Amino acid sequence: MKLEPRAVPLQDAPPKRKVKTTQVVNGIETEVEIEVEDVPAGQWPPRASLRVLNHDIPRVDGPVKVSGAARYTHDVRVPGMVWARLLLSPLPRARVAALDLEAARAVPGVVHVLVVEREETGWLGQPVAVVAAETLEAAGDGLRALAARFEPLPWVVDHAAAVREGAPAVGRGANVGRPETDGDEARARAALSASATRVRATYTVPVQHHASLETHGVVVDYRGGEDAVVYCSTQYAQGFAAEAAKELGLKAGNVRGVVEHMGGGFGSKFGLDAQGLYACRIAKELKRPVHLMLDRRAEFLMSGNRSGTSMTIEAGCDAQGSLTGLVAEAWKHGGLGRGSLSGLPYCYKAGAHFRDVRSVRMHLDASRAMRAPGHPQASFGMESILDELAYAAGLDLVEIRRRNAAHPAWVRQLDRVAREIGWDQHPHRTQPGKPDREECIGIGFGISNWGSGGSSDCEAEVRIEKDGSVVVACAAQDLGTGTRMYMAAIAAEEFGLPVAAVTARLGDSRLPTGVASGGSVTTPSVAPAVKDACTRARGAFAAHLAQVLGRSAEGFRFGPDGVRHDGMTERLAWSKACGTLPAEGLSARGKWQESLQTRGVRCTQAAQVAVDPGTGRVRVLHMVCLQEVGLALNRLAVKSQIQGGMIQALGYALGEGRQLDSALGLQLNASFEEYKIPHALEIPRMTTLIDDDDTRNGVAGVGEPPAIPGASAIANAVHNACGARVRELPITPDKVLLALGKVV
Amino acid sequence: MRPLRLTVNGDTLETAAPAHWTLLEVLRYRLGLTGSKQGCDKGDCGACTVLVDGRPQLACLTLAALAEGHAITTIEGLMPLHVAAGGDGPDPVQGAFDRCGALQCGFCQPGMMLSARALLNRNPCPTRGEIREALSGNLCRCTGYTQIFEAVELAVAESLGVAPAPRAWEEQRMKPAEAQEQARRAAAALAAARERNDGGPGARS
Repeated sequence: MKLEPRAVPLQDAPPKRKVKTTQVVNGIETEVEIEVEDVPAGQWPPRASLRVLNHDIPRVDGPVKVSGAARYTHDVRVPGMVWARLLLSPLPRARVAALDLEAARAVPGVVHVLVVEREETGWLGQPVAVVAAETLEAAGDGLRALAARFEPLPWVVDHAAAVREGAPAVGRGANVGRPETDGDEARARAALSASATRVRATYTVPVQHHASLETHGVVVDYRGGEDAVVYCSTQYAQGFAAEAAKELGLKAGNVRGVVEHMGGGFGSKFGLDAQGLYACRIAKELKRPVHLMLDRRAEFLMSGNRSGTSMTIEAGCDAQGSLTGLVAEAWKHGGLGRGSLSGLPYCYKAGAHFRDVRSVRMHLDASRAMRAPGHPQASFGMESILDELAYAAGLDLVEIRRRNAAHPAWVRQLDRVAREIGWDQHPHRTQPGKPDREECIGIGFGISNWGSGGSSDCEAEVRIEKDGSVVVACAAQDLGTGTRMYMAAIAAEEFGLPVAAVTARLGDSRLPTGVASGGSVTTPSVAPAVKDACTRARGAFAAHLAQVLGRSAEGFRFGPDGVRHDGMTERLAWSKACGTLPAEGLSARGKWQESLQTRGVRCTQAAQVAVDPGTGRVRVLHMVCLQEVGLALNRLAVKSQIQGGMIQALGYALGEGRQLDSALGLQLNASFEEYKIPHALEIPRMTTLIDDDDTRNGVAGVGEPPAIPGASAIANAVHNACGARVRELPITPDKVLLALGKVV
Repeated sequence: MRPLRLTVNGDTLETAAPAHWTLLEVLRYRLGLTGSKQGCDKGDCGACTVLVDGRPQLACLTLAALAEGHAITTIEGLMPLHVAAGGDGPDPVQGAFDRCGALQCGFCQPGMMLSARALLNRNPCPTRGEIREALSGNLCRCTGYTQIFEAVELAVAESLGVAPAPRAWEEQRMKPAEAQEQARRAAAALAAARERNDGGPGARS
């Protein structure tokens, strides 16, 4: 890379001080204490003075994306490349009885057959073999020529079968994990006994798939020798490059990881993954580049998912509606993994609570982080039981939330969201409607939060070129959320330039340290580092100009009208000022700073639905979201991301969910035909509001909170409309009719 | 192998591929046109949508051999064809998608924009309902679709020379009365244009 050797190293390590922040490890938020440089705290300019940031900014990569020129991993073509495809275990557990390697090798065009499981498979979709060939077609022929035969072994793919005595074991250890508990059971049960109103119910959420439009995959460009370039559809450019180097047997510094553009990840795309390791192994063996992208079926079967949950919750409140006690017993369904489930009473406070959670393991793909891991599941249980409690006590659905919300921001948000959705005019505020008309209208609510702290390791470099152009660089990747654009916009704001004058470079492991893009950490990591680099570059540029012009460095101002100095009347055009730089320009490196980020993003949503009690069909008419975002870098992109989260939740509420045939050991909906994600005709009117009452002047990640409460709000709205309480997502018409007693 | 002679983005291209190859396979694996995306290989996601004689078609379900003799437009050809037709810069659909932030990861967008272009070819003033219908075969996992609808509406409004109805992201900063007035004007302009198109000799639907 061009930038690296010219980087100005940081000065001698300044003193450190300790700060608390949230780090996300594989999607789980953890509060940690970290050391940061004890430098003067950077600050964003006051919001009112911002010229570029906190406005609607078209993306800097918009033109390349709308023209079709943007190159995704799937599109990478390098000379001499071979194409690889995977053979997956068609059963949850089986003995590999036959694989005709000779026949596969004999297929014209096949150049390599790699067997990765010779004996026994332990989960549905587990890779068994990889065939590489001169064409994708020949690789497919090679897979068929393997004529793989699998002999079924006993498996468990549903809760009941997994917990049964004598059930086939899933890996080592018991199928049911050790209980994770929190809270005080005796106190919580005593509080429940003493409560004025109490309700108890069981709620179930299915396994949700990430369903990224671009499947997982890699192109490993290794042709022998010391160096390699690996392209990967991933959320962590630096992470996978290091893994690839290890697998290729190369020095870490000799393997470059590139993520130019990637087609969605939502938490499923960290690291090199199994297919990436296989591609490296084959490339190393053949000394030829390898292209290995999953097909859609493999994407459903082997690239992770959001764990399912079944939870029984009992909650009680006093006469005014304050939660007195809550007891929950829950099971997580994360396949081979442990799954995730956030704490209860989620964003509310209760006098006393107790929770007992266990994971139930099955012969299925391990769950992974998915957009706000554990939160949508907990939200569905909590918002549902809260509604049931409100109805039982005859309380207003908004009032019970205002009263119990754990932070005052939600109270403010609930008031606004209730107004936007038309709560005051709604007839069913304390009792659900009846299924007595063709179209029953209901409203539901939900609240959410997310930590959203940044990574203290993140760095960025800013280079001011002699021709007046500016380059901002960081290894982090742009998942499509607009990282490139705000990197450029921050520099544009700092130097008084148009955004187009700035080039943002990212998605390259050789650039300054980035961050894994998961858990909404990208923006609160990258933006502070870029801002810090800009501040340092501005200081260095001022010092340079001070020398050239014989003025004090403190007096320089950079704005849209050029470079000014407090002691000078005339202005210096930016390009002219840059022309005084030496040939190599000027660069500065910046580090993440705590003072430039903010943590804790709260969100409130409401949904209005129409239920047809004759058919059980649910249509979402209107969704409202009001969300804190700290300082919005680009309002246009923030709203798009919020809306995307809301619609993923709509899918979770009404259509999505892995369907398995336990007896046959098959996934019935491993394609977009049967696994239904929302499409254009299902999109409600959307009112997407940035909570400008949140005046914290630091940046926050915004991607997780909007994906959480929508499904809960929709489920509650269905019940509010017609009295159909569906306690199991997704809310398909059959379940609505069942809840209405119309089918048995 | 079957020789193929395809008209893609105004160029006649000659290649050869197995007789059973789809148009998507030929575009991506023979002609190097990777703008058409491969999302599902079975017509579920719409990411491979191209125009065949101006109509949207799923390239993953179209035999390449059957596309011979037809004018194929991929995302790579949208801007060149617009310029060749006397336009300036990108197709208005592309420009509107860019300015409305109607994309995130961008993987679905080539297909989405070609579906939108096909809609505007046959119906220059579509309603929101008609836009939804036309885009309902293109799945997007990132954006929540709303800014995509708004982008198509912007392209329509600009072709009519009126300000578009306020977009969801703008409403927050407009006074309600102001937003309503702008929405009313946009709706009136659209209705008038539809009437002209329905009755007039230039009707294209």
